[in-house]
Amino acid sequence: MNRPARRITLEAWGRRYDELCAAGLCEPDYGGPLARHVDDGDLRLCKLAMDDSAAALRLWNFLLTEDDRLRRARAGGARIVGTMKDLGTVPVMAYSLDDVVAFYPDGAWWIPCVMERTAGLLEIADSLGIDDSFCPVRAMLGAFVNEAHFPIPDLLTCSVGATCDDLSAIAQRLEALGHPVVWWEIPHRRRPDAGEDAVRLPGRFVAPRRQVDFVRRQLEGVAAALADLAGQSLDDERLAAGIRRANRVRRLLDELRQLAFTAAACPLPALEMLIAEMLAIHFCSDPNESIAVLEALLGEVRRRVAAGVGILPAEAVRVFWVNPVADLRVMNLLEDAGGRVCGTEYLFCHALDPIPDDLAPMEALAQMALADPMVGSPADRASRICADARRFGAEAVVISRIPGASHCAMEGAVLGAAVRQRLGIPVVEIEVPPISDAVEPALRTRLEALIETAKDHGSR
Amino acid sequence: MNDERGGRGELKAIGYYHALVPPEWIAAHGLRPRWIAPRSLGARSRVGTSRGVCPYAGACVDAALDGAASAGVVMTTTCDQMRYAAALVEQEGRVPCFLLNVPSTWRTAEARGLYREEVERLGRFLVRRGGTAPTPAGLARVMLEYDRARSALLADRERLAARQFAESLRNVGSADAAERWDRAEGCRRQATRVAGAPEGEERIALALVGGPFVAQDRAMLDRIERAGGRIVLNAADGGERTMPAPFDRARLEADPLGELTRAYFDSIPHVFRRPNDGLYAWLGRKLAEREVRGIVFRRYVWCDLWHAELDRLRRWSPVPVLDLDVADDDRSAGARATGRIEAFLETLRRAGRPAESRFSGETGKRIEPIGERPR
Repeated sequence: MNRPARRITLEAWGRRYDELCAAGLCEPDYGGPLARHVDDGDLRLCKLAMDDSAAALRLWNFLLTEDDRLRRARAGGARIVGTMKDLGTVPVMAYSLDDVVAFYPDGAWWIPCVMERTAGLLEIADSLGIDDSFCPVRAMLGAFVNEAHFPIPDLLTCSVGATCDDLSAIAQRLEALGHPVVWWEIPHRRRPDAGEDAVRLPGRFVAPRRQVDFVRRQLEGVAAALADLAGQSLDDERLAAGIRRANRVRRLLDELRQLAFTAAACPLPALEMLIAEMLAIHFCSDPNESIAVLEALLGEVRRRVAAGVGILPAEAVRVFWVNPVADLRVMNLLEDAGGRVCGTEYLFCHALDPIPDDLAPMEALAQMALADPMVGSPADRASRICADARRFGAEAVVISRIPGASHCAMEGAVLGAAVRQRLGIPVVEIEVPPISDAVEPALRTRLEALIETAKDHGSR
Repeated sequence: MNDERGGRGELKAIGYYHALVPPEWIAAHGLRPRWIAPRSLGARSRVGTSRGVCPYAGACVDAALDGAASAGVVMTTTCDQMRYAAALVEQEGRVPCFLLNVPSTWRTAEARGLYREEVERLGRFLVRRGGTAPTPAGLARVMLEYDRARSALLADRERLAARQFAESLRNVGSADAAERWDRAEGCRRQATRVAGAPEGEERIALALVGGPFVAQDRAMLDRIERAGGRIVLNAADGGERTMPAPFDRARLEADPLGELTRAYFDSIPHVFRRPNDGLYAWLGRKLAEREVRGIVFRRYVWCDLWHAELDRLRRWSPVPVLDLDVADDDRSAGARATGRIEAFLETLRRAGRPAESRFSGETGKRIEPIGERPR
């Protein structure tokens, strides 16, 4: 059946859900109509256009029930690990142990958006002196204080060094408030000196061997803390199994991205692709279910691509998107303006690359951690963005600034210059607050102007 | 590009911005360290006017690109914006830029080892910039000269106006070996009571806490003292807090670079350290020792590291804290700051001396010192 794929509103999703149920929809235990999340306070759903597939329904339900999952895990006796400023390394280690559940407290940065600021997390952060000059990740501080969004973890880890100041400063406040933190150092990735022993990392970066060794020893310290918490040894065998599972997620995402970004007709909206990619870094607190969710999504995309079904007009301009948005709605805006996402660098492109399975597991994870685009020079990151944008045939680039984020202040100049110089395609920089309604006309105008410029550029 | 000329020689200047960069290491390579204090915040900065850019980081980019030290600049990873600032300087390609990776964690031998390796790597950069690798004995000799100059300054701290003390500290960090002692001595000779201080009025002991100063901002120190304050503790970046510990002679002779690492990396309490309780331990000792009655907390807008500590400091501090946020060179901002300082001093004067202080952490837990600085 070549049923047209569409982006639909929450209201339409109510009818669509009934249709799916009537057609025999099978759902996991966290399933149900999306509207129930609005009753729980996830008001932003009412303003979003979402993909109308059963696979997307499962993705949304999986995302919006993480809190319940964590509380069930706690009630079931699992040990909870909060992995701050960690884009895909410590969660792999944590999930290699039995009865350990890791989550990404920084993910609270989307709560002000999803709950349209009704949760009061930013106000709590304000009251602790962490105002809106900080990145929206300050919502995490509020979530730790009010304990309404995730259970307080049994162990809290945080990478520092070549990381953003916002999170580092907020994590320090958390520790001062009585939440002990296992700090681990991620050094600024530098280019090896002439004659220095070097390692080619997964992806396209290179690092000195001594930096890889340093990070490996840092991770061994984290592993010891995890093993101590779990009362199990985190040996190579366990770790290798954890890496294989993480790679399963990454391979699914790789195929999903390849299909979604290159198909003639865009088979899946940018919004769902953004959420799917996020699963790579923390598995939404359940790696096995992440795999199932991604398999369903990939199945849907394969069907659509085979049938030539898209959710956007074929002439949609191909846009490479840099940095995640604080307000999910902006991904809709791009598509409304005539664009489609054909490539992304949401700060964690390294977490989409397979973890080497032919190395000692801790060595492989150390290499992955150092391959993080954010721990090196923005010039390195720009080179990866340019390579990926070229690979996916981007016609324009959006650099989406995160308000208050320490890295966003200056990186745009480096990234924008590199894209213009190497790819010669239009670039626009926008800033997206957690709720963008007030600036939506300006954002829409900028995105429309980019699309028009790209069309004009392409026709010449 | 013009080479920086010293007053008495032709040493090439290597600029740096952070107290975790040891100037004696640069001087021991036969180069002239220059502790750059950008002249002013970049109202016309290349990057300083962008939303979100720390004006100090923007001013540092400008200073580097304007040739503040043409042989090269050393930037550090001590804050994210400076890390990105280094990338901008590199991108421009006008001046060689070395990014010194200073670990945020500090409680492990691994972190200390990384810092030492980075200092060694800096040494190789300095050689490429025309320096000569020092012998251990040569390094030890230069280190002792700096140590003497800093000790002389500290001994005279109470006789110096706050601005003189701050500028002398920076001068010592900017002088070549031959000049260091002279500068410290000159400072001693020029020491006078604070210019313009109100006669017969009680002077309120203040601590200055926060980020680094640009040169133009040092006038604020005069304003504070003219208004009846007395900065008895300069705990801002670049002040007394970020001085290295005195060198231990025996360790210096055995392993000068190891001693340099200890004196800097192990001993300087800083806001970027994780954890940074050592900053509070140091402040707790010094505030009590100097009988401080108020803290002037000076931070740049968009500086997350200092800004995040403001609320914690207020909860922790037994004395009132005045928050001065600095955005740009706007004259009205200076006037506003002066007004706030005057009001703060007036409040403290009326409040009288506080009862015995309690210095405890935010959670009431005991704060462990990051490293002792016996003086």
